[in-house]
Amino acid sequence: MANAQGPETTGTVAPPLPTPRKTGGIGAATPRVDGRAKVTGAARYGSDFFGGPDPAYAFLATSAIARGRITEIDDSDARALPGVIDILTHRNVGDRVKPGKTFSDKGYMGTSIAPLASDRVWHDGQIVAVVVADSYEAARDAARRLRVSYADETPSASFDSPGTETVSAESKSKEGEKAGQEKPKVGDAPRAFEAAPVKIDQHYETPTQHHNPIELFTTTCAWDGDQLTVWESSQNVYGYQNGLAEQLGLEPSQIRVVSPFIGGAFGSRGSLTQRTALIALASKRIGRPVVLEATRQQGFTIATYRAETRHRIRLGADQSGKLTALIHEGWEVTSRKDEYKVAGTDASTRLYACPNIDSDVSIVHADRNTPGFMRSPPEVPYLFALESAMDELAYAAKIDPVELRRINDTDREPIKGLPYTSRSLMKCFDTAGQAFGWSRRSAQPGSMRDGDWMIGWGCASTMYPTQVGPAAARVTLRPDGAVRVQTAAHDIGTGAYTVIAQTAADRLGVPLDKVHVELGDTALPPAPVAGGSNTTASVCNVVAKACDEIRRKLAAAVTVSGGPLDGADPGRITLINASVMDDQGRMASLKDAVAKTGHGAVEAYAENIPHGAPPTAMQNLYKGQSALAGGAKLKDRIQFAFGAQFVEVRINARTREIRAPRIVGAYAGGTIVNPLTAKSQLMGGQIWGVSSALHEATEIDRRFARYYNDDLAEYLIPVNADITEVQTIFVPEEDHQVNELGIKGLGELGNVGLNAAVANAVFHATGVRIRKLPIRIESVLDAPVPT
Amino acid sequence: MRPFIYTRADDVSAAVQAAAETSGSAPANAAPVQFIAGGTTILDLMKLDTMRPERLVDINGLQSALGSIQATDKGLRLGALVRMSQAAEDPQIQRDYPVIAQSLQLAASAQLRNMASLGGNVLQRTRCQYFRNTSWPACNKRDPGSGCAALDGVNRKHAVLGVGDKCIAEYPGDFAPALAALGAVVTITGPNGSRAIPFEQLHRGPDQPERETTLAPGELITGFDIPAGPYTRRSLYVKVRDRQSYEFGLATAAVALHLVDGKVEEARIGLGGVAYRPWRSHEAEAALQGKPLDENSAEAAAQAAFAEAAPRRDNAYKVELGRRTLVRALLEAGRMEI
Amino acid sequence: MVELKVNGAVRQVDAAPETPLLYVLREDLQLNGAKFGCGLGQCGACTVAIDGAPAFSCLLPVGLLAGREITTVEGLGSPDKPGPLQQAFIDEQAAQCGYCIAGMVMRAHTLLARNPSPTDDEILEHMSPNLCRCGAHMRIVAAIRRASSRKEASRSQRGAL
Repeated sequence: MANAQGPETTGTVAPPLPTPRKTGGIGAATPRVDGRAKVTGAARYGSDFFGGPDPAYAFLATSAIARGRITEIDDSDARALPGVIDILTHRNVGDRVKPGKTFSDKGYMGTSIAPLASDRVWHDGQIVAVVVADSYEAARDAARRLRVSYADETPSASFDSPGTETVSAESKSKEGEKAGQEKPKVGDAPRAFEAAPVKIDQHYETPTQHHNPIELFTTTCAWDGDQLTVWESSQNVYGYQNGLAEQLGLEPSQIRVVSPFIGGAFGSRGSLTQRTALIALASKRIGRPVVLEATRQQGFTIATYRAETRHRIRLGADQSGKLTALIHEGWEVTSRKDEYKVAGTDASTRLYACPNIDSDVSIVHADRNTPGFMRSPPEVPYLFALESAMDELAYAAKIDPVELRRINDTDREPIKGLPYTSRSLMKCFDTAGQAFGWSRRSAQPGSMRDGDWMIGWGCASTMYPTQVGPAAARVTLRPDGAVRVQTAAHDIGTGAYTVIAQTAADRLGVPLDKVHVELGDTALPPAPVAGGSNTTASVCNVVAKACDEIRRKLAAAVTVSGGPLDGADPGRITLINASVMDDQGRMASLKDAVAKTGHGAVEAYAENIPHGAPPTAMQNLYKGQSALAGGAKLKDRIQFAFGAQFVEVRINARTREIRAPRIVGAYAGGTIVNPLTAKSQLMGGQIWGVSSALHEATEIDRRFARYYNDDLAEYLIPVNADITEVQTIFVPEEDHQVNELGIKGLGELGNVGLNAAVANAVFHATGVRIRKLPIRIESVLDAPVPT
Repeated sequence: MRPFIYTRADDVSAAVQAAAETSGSAPANAAPVQFIAGGTTILDLMKLDTMRPERLVDINGLQSALGSIQATDKGLRLGALVRMSQAAEDPQIQRDYPVIAQSLQLAASAQLRNMASLGGNVLQRTRCQYFRNTSWPACNKRDPGSGCAALDGVNRKHAVLGVGDKCIAEYPGDFAPALAALGAVVTITGPNGSRAIPFEQLHRGPDQPERETTLAPGELITGFDIPAGPYTRRSLYVKVRDRQSYEFGLATAAVALHLVDGKVEEARIGLGGVAYRPWRSHEAEAALQGKPLDENSAEAAAQAAFAEAAPRRDNAYKVELGRRTLVRALLEAGRMEI
Repeated sequence: MVELKVNGAVRQVDAAPETPLLYVLREDLQLNGAKFGCGLGQCGACTVAIDGAPAFSCLLPVGLLAGREITTVEGLGSPDKPGPLQQAFIDEQAAQCGYCIAGMVMRAHTLLARNPSPTDDEILEHMSPNLCRCGAHMRIVAAIRRASSRKEASRSQRGAL
């Protein structure tokens, strides 16, 4: 209460401490520090680097079959074109590029399918050749003149296709419990379900979806002797560096990966794709920088995607709505070769109190490219199923859907009985429900109408694990207060530049504009993959730690005998207003303080290993292994962020267009370092949620196991006119168990559950329950018009 | 894309001559010489390698001859090089031919509307991905005789009217159904002189999917004549799609009505998104003739319009959706205050 | 050789007339603001203004552009001195990953040049062809509203922080 004033403030007291400059510090709604560069075209993304003055251009040729062998590649026409320099195929690549291990196999790759290793075709759109030419146009023209012959075999496309292989996710896990794979189970769920007076037993489906960041999958490689530089938008530069080293037989230190700005990622740039090593090899072969701009269509098959899933949910409850049984079975499609899975039962079994829980996940191998992380990978499909089923239960038990969640709220996760570090689920429901006007909802399906439009209101829970990774950072403070923060974290649009700068400004007591942050470069100390919503927590905490080390150094210097703050307790020295201050309010300038250290600048390098991570986490981080800890993986506690999703849908009573004009969410995410960037993350997530429910689906031609709508005219995402009102509300929450700064991740919280909220709203509007996404006109065309 | 020769023409005869030189027997839509105005369809198809012209003749130099809008009491004349946005924003068209203005306004994006010419717009190619993406081996439209992958493939957006067993590609445009509804005449100049044909005769049926129009190679659309009629002011365009904007229609209806005392004296009905080519439903028009406009007569007209519909697996919904779209358009047009 | 008028300056470029403007901007003129997102006119990341009207530079052959006025995002301001529309995008936090944003700015620029006080519906419809994958839609619209000369409160202020 330094600023407290009043009659009781008498006697000799220390002069009031200067008010900390909060603009720019932790918690301030500071506009993004990189906004200026972005809106003026100055920000350089991976695709803006051409590697030097005279790059060559690569164009990929991809397979037109999903399964079989290449019998012949006739490149005579292609080679005859002016400007064509080189053509890579399995004949001249082979084992020069190692496949690498997948992320889920403790490697770095999104897939272990090495496209030019052999004549084998594993999936549609697999790279079969890389054509390098003097111009992009020549490379593209030549790629199209390649005549590739195949011995094709009938591929298996997806669920229900002949030839797929279904295996238990658990039994396929090589590491078992150590890899975080578990099969959450407690009590006797089948028996409790049988005995339950109120039951729901339903199947749900989610479709294939592709990230489609607006920046394409591009790669630029250039060699200087045996040193390779790669410019590629990445969520994981150290992972790329180490993965490439493994693939190319180099030392990691021979490779630098640069990715200062990223044109959207959403998980698609977390694992290394097979294209990068091929471009590096091409560049080495021709002795020139090589630039690859894969096409939008190719992006559907050379990177990862969200695989289609199926679910069976059984819920048993007593008459009051209290859950007595929850059984969640999931099925996920993956490639023939890899075992990628999301296994979201980790989360879906830990949302509500329930004494009897069972779960099971199977993976279905098909002739497809390997799926991968896409924004909230497990929670999006698995909570669609659970939160749809909860809505069905609410109707079956004649309980308001919000109240049903309240009845089943808990402060301990039901599997092991571990306490949540914090859980504000019902506060979120109450806050968002009030903002939405939920109390004005008439429960009867089809009972709300506005002219030609049927109205439906729906809600659902969201949850996302709070994960923190090991991280390192170097911070330098100069006498004039200029700060440089270096860490190989990634700003994928999340605002990492901004929140890291805010943390340093806060801890070092300098204005925000004095802080310069460098990210996305393996020349900097490592940070984890920008995935699992860990970056703010992982990186801000380690930056704070480095700043505190600087403070300690300065404190030691100024408090020595004869120092400017001689006699002060070094432990109570603070940095504020570009000065050093003791607890008596005595100040010393930074200039004097730095001089006193005997150095020109004060620098600190810090490493941070979060709670639950192994002691080797830092060594592994330098090897590109992020080892995120938290969520449901801790032995002593469970940490998740929660929120509540509400949505209004309007469905034309005649032609049945479905619109979602109003989206309201409330979220609790611990410390909000920057409400502006945090809100952007959540709001973007909310829009993703609606998109996932109403728009996004990659259609598969099942005869050929090939994607059909592989461009942005046919793969629909919402346009501006679809998004008319989004409310994003923060519910205050303090949780200093999760990490020192109390930060929970937000980037993947906003989209989870909203797909179910939309489906629930569609039911409320029409009385028709849609259990398969996306929900489109034809899903509700036959629904009778409620009277 | 493949290299091509790029030339400019400064008058119509020069353009036509330039295009006629290498014509041969190829369909106009696959001729080695193609005209380019806005380039919004042809350039993306060339980038996809779906179209491979050897020469593009830039006709933007014909702007003064083909770029004007004229409205008289006889009707509306739209030059082929009028940009979509220009016609969409013309106050007289908005008042007297709202279905024309709306069909253009709801089409594509403003960016494309600014670039795209009306003549080029009616010739836009289908969105069928089996056609656009050359890696699909079976497409009779791209490669005659190769089959139709869409028949038993992904066909949610394909046509249900006017289809055949060789092709079910949908005609995706919005302006053309409006032209069809209003009985427009298209004027054409070619190596052998000029001619005028009903707009309905411009696009061909699916018997030879590779031949999309009745244009001969080298023939250039010079404009459209839309006759005046007592129904043009009571006209509108309804477009139903998955998202609110910037998407091709799943089902659209262009309707124009002449009502006297609540009875339909004359109805003009075009359908989009559901048919192989720009579709005029004479059946629906006949069903409405002389009837009071109400839910029942509109429904009867919609039934008539889709009586011959031939849906496939994923697009069966288009029959019912197309009907409802037409009913909605008719009833909304009936409520218009003119 | 093609002569182009870009951001007020006449530039000579050694490019075939069929070359898309986007390549010339990015590779020959080092104007990286316009982005490559699809090359097919489907995403809007490459949007520039041609004679004040929005156009997809990925589809526009430079041969069609003789004598026409090309404006890119670099023509509206610089990092040191952003233009008023750019400042509004900064203030409203409209850039998220930022890859679409140069196209968004240019598209908004052509709207405001023609209609300085558009309604929300006009903004939404006008901006729809430019895709944003981050979900910054509300902030982009707010930025355009802020840069417009409209004074009245908008109908969906609740979306803004």
